[in-house]
Amino acid sequence: MPAVSRRQLLKSAAGLACAAALPGLASTPASAAPVHDLLNALIKKYSDAAKAAMANTDIKALFEKDGFRDYLDVYPVGDLAGGFVWKPGMGASFTGPYSKLQIKAPFTDYLPMNEGPVLDKAKTYRIGFVFHGFNHPWLISLADTAAWEAARHPNVQLEVIDAEFDDNKMGQVIDTWIAKQFDGIVLWPSREAPMGPPVDRAIAAGIPVVSLDRRTSSEVISSEVLGNFYANGLQQGLYLQHAAAGSGAMICNRKDLGSTADSIRTGSYLEVIGNSPDYKMLANYHTNSQRTLAFKSTADALQAFKDIAIIFNTGGEEAMGALDAVREAGRLNSAPGGKKIIILANDDAREVLKEIRTGNMDMVAPYTPLIGDIGIRAVIMHIGHKAGLLPEAPPKLILTPNLPMITREKMTIEGIETLTPDEWPYAYGPEVAS
Amino acid sequence: MSAVGDTNAARSAPAIRRPVPFRAQIGGLSRIAILLLLVLTAQLVTPSFLAPANLQVILMAVAAIGVMAIGMTLVVIAGEIDLSIAGVAILACVLGGILIPTGSPVLVIGVTLLTGLVLGLINGILVAGLRIPSLIATLGMLGIARALANIASGGQALYPESIGPYVWLGRGTLLGLPVPVLILLALTILAIALTRFSIFGQALYATGGNVKAARLSGINVAAVRIAVFMLCGFCAALAGMLDSARLSYINPSGFEGIELSVLAVTVLGGAALSGGKGTIIGTLVAALIIGVVNNLLNQLGVSIYLQQVAIAAVILAVVLPDALKRESGK
Repeated sequence: MPAVSRRQLLKSAAGLACAAALPGLASTPASAAPVHDLLNALIKKYSDAAKAAMANTDIKALFEKDGFRDYLDVYPVGDLAGGFVWKPGMGASFTGPYSKLQIKAPFTDYLPMNEGPVLDKAKTYRIGFVFHGFNHPWLISLADTAAWEAARHPNVQLEVIDAEFDDNKMGQVIDTWIAKQFDGIVLWPSREAPMGPPVDRAIAAGIPVVSLDRRTSSEVISSEVLGNFYANGLQQGLYLQHAAAGSGAMICNRKDLGSTADSIRTGSYLEVIGNSPDYKMLANYHTNSQRTLAFKSTADALQAFKDIAIIFNTGGEEAMGALDAVREAGRLNSAPGGKKIIILANDDAREVLKEIRTGNMDMVAPYTPLIGDIGIRAVIMHIGHKAGLLPEAPPKLILTPNLPMITREKMTIEGIETLTPDEWPYAYGPEVAS
Repeated sequence: MSAVGDTNAARSAPAIRRPVPFRAQIGGLSRIAILLLLVLTAQLVTPSFLAPANLQVILMAVAAIGVMAIGMTLVVIAGEIDLSIAGVAILACVLGGILIPTGSPVLVIGVTLLTGLVLGLINGILVAGLRIPSLIATLGMLGIARALANIASGGQALYPESIGPYVWLGRGTLLGLPVPVLILLALTILAIALTRFSIFGQALYATGGNVKAARLSGINVAAVRIAVFMLCGFCAALAGMLDSARLSYINPSGFEGIELSVLAVTVLGGAALSGGKGTIIGTLVAALIIGVVNNLLNQLGVSIYLQQVAIAAVILAVVLPDALKRESGK
C-alpha cells in the first residue's frame, strides 16, 4: 500500500464529512438524522461561512492571531466506522476497575465484540495499555474502560502502565513490550512528536498499535481513536447564539495555546459566533486546565469589566474555576440588564453536570473519557486481521460519535435536541453532593 | 523541645542578642517603594484598581501563597530549603478530605493540619537528624507525598462542601474581611513576633547566619531546624486548606510547581538562600507585589505566557539592586 501522509488522510476524512453534510438544517426544528451527522453538517455550514467572511472584528483578529484555521482544516470530521449510529442510552454499565466508580460507557456497541475468548481461543493475547495519569479523573476513566473491555475476554491479558506524563518513560514501556513480543499496544499519548518513533518501532516489529483521543506523529500507526472536539466548540457557539441572540461581552478561559483541545474547541466556537458583529471579546486567558488559574483570571476580569455577559471555557476545570470566581464575587446575575452571566463548559464531569442542573452553568458539551474499550477492541481486531483470523482490519481513523450538548432544560437548537443532566448517564468523576 | 539549649550562652552571644532592625524587618524600603509604584501605575491604567472589591480580590489571591511563603521564609532564614510544600499541602488536604464522610470539621481540619506538622517533622528529622541536605530530603518528600495523595484518593477529587467550617475558612468573612486574609494577617503577626521578639527568632537567624557560631553559642541547631520544617509543613497544610476550601475542591494533583513560586516570593522578599537573612514583612510585601502584577495584567487581558515573563522581570528588577550592592561591597 502506498504511503499516505496523515494530512492527506485527514483531508479525505474531512471530505467525507462534506459529502455527508445535510442541507437546510437551520430551518429544521429537530431532525431525525443521527446527531453525529447533524453536527457534522453544522460544522461544515459554519466552517464554510467563517471561511467566506468573519464580520466580527474582535473575533476575526483573535481567530487569525492564534492561527485556528491551520488546526481546524486538518482535524478529522467524518463518518463513524462500520456505519455505526449512536443513540442516547446505548452502552454498558459497570464499576470502574480502577476508580471503583459506577460507569456507563457510551460506545461499548461501537466496533462490537462479544464477551468471551477472542480470535484463537487456545492462545493468550498480551496487550499493553500505556497512558499518563492515574492521578486524573478523566484519565482514570479512560483506563477503567480499557481494563473493563480486556476483562470481558478471558484469553486477553492486559498490562496497564502509567507513564506519569514522561514521554521517555512511555517510549521505554513500548520498547519493553516490543522486546517481550506483546500482541498489541494501546496508548494515550500526551504529545504527538515524541511518541512517533516508539510507535513506528512497534509497527515495524509487527505489533499493531492504537492511539486513543490524542495522536502520535507516526504515519503508520494501526488506528487512531479520535474524539469530537470540533462538535464541542460548535455547540458552545450554537448555544450562545441561541441564548445571547448575537450580542454580549465575553471572556475566555482557554487551555494551553497550541493544544488540540484549545485549537479545535475554541476555533470552532469562534467560527460559529464570528459573523455576529455585536459580540465583544474583553479578555482571553490561557488557564491551562488549571481551576485555580481560571479562578484567578476570572476574579480579576470581573473587577476590570462590569459588563461581562459570557464566559467561554475550553474545559470543565476552567468552567468550575470561573463559576467559583463569579460566585465569590456575587456576580452570577451581573450581566447587563441584571441577566445571568452565560457560562459555557466542556467535559461532562459529574460536578459540571451538577452545576448545569442547578442552573449556575448554562451548557456543557460532553467529551467522554469512556473510550478505552474502543481502543482494546480495535487492537484485538488488528491482531486478528494480521493473523488471518479476521477478514478486515478496523479503519485507520476511528472517530467517536459526536455527542449532543447538555442543558438544564431540553431544547432544540438548529436541529440538535439537547439532553438534560438527568438524561446523561455517561458523566465521569466522583459524585458530588447535590 | 528547646531551640536554645543553653539560654545563658545564647544570650551572651552578641550576634544573636541584637534584634533585627526595623528597616531590615520590612525587607528594605525599595520593595515597599516598588509596591507603591506598582499600585499607582495600576490605578492609572485601570481606574477601578483601588476599589475595595479589587483590593479584596488581590488579598484573597495572595492569601494561600503568602501563608506558604511565611513558612518557607522561616526555613530559608535557617539556611535550608523546603521543596516539599506542594506535596505536603496536597497530602494533608487529601488525608483530611478522606474524613469528609464523618461530617466532623474537627477531624477533617485537625487531620489536615496535623499531617502538615508531621510531614514537616519528618523533613526536619531527615535534615537535622540524618544530615540529608534539605534540597534532597524535601525533594524526596515532594515525590512521596504527591504519590501518597494519589494513592489515598485514588486520583479522584474530594469535595468538602458538606463541612461548613472547612468551607468557611476559604469563603467566609469575619468583621467584613475574608477569612483567608485574616488568617494571613494573623499568621504574619505571629511570625513577626516569633522572628523579631523571641529567643527562638534570634536562634533562627543565628543558625542560618553561622551554624558553627550558633552551636558554640549553645543553640540547639537541630531543634531549630526541626521546628522550622514543622512550621513550614503546618503553613503548607493551612494554605492547602484555604485554597481547597475556597474552591470546595481538593485536587490530588493540585499545586503543581507552587514550591518555585513560593520560593520566588521568599527571595523577592529579601531572604537569602544562604540563610540568616529574610523577614516576614518583606515576604508579605513580595507576595503583594506578585499579586498586584498578576491582577493588573489579568485586568489588561495579558496572556499568561507574557505574565510569566513580566513577573520574572519584576523579580529580577527587585533583586538586582541587592545583588549589585553585595557585589560592590566585596
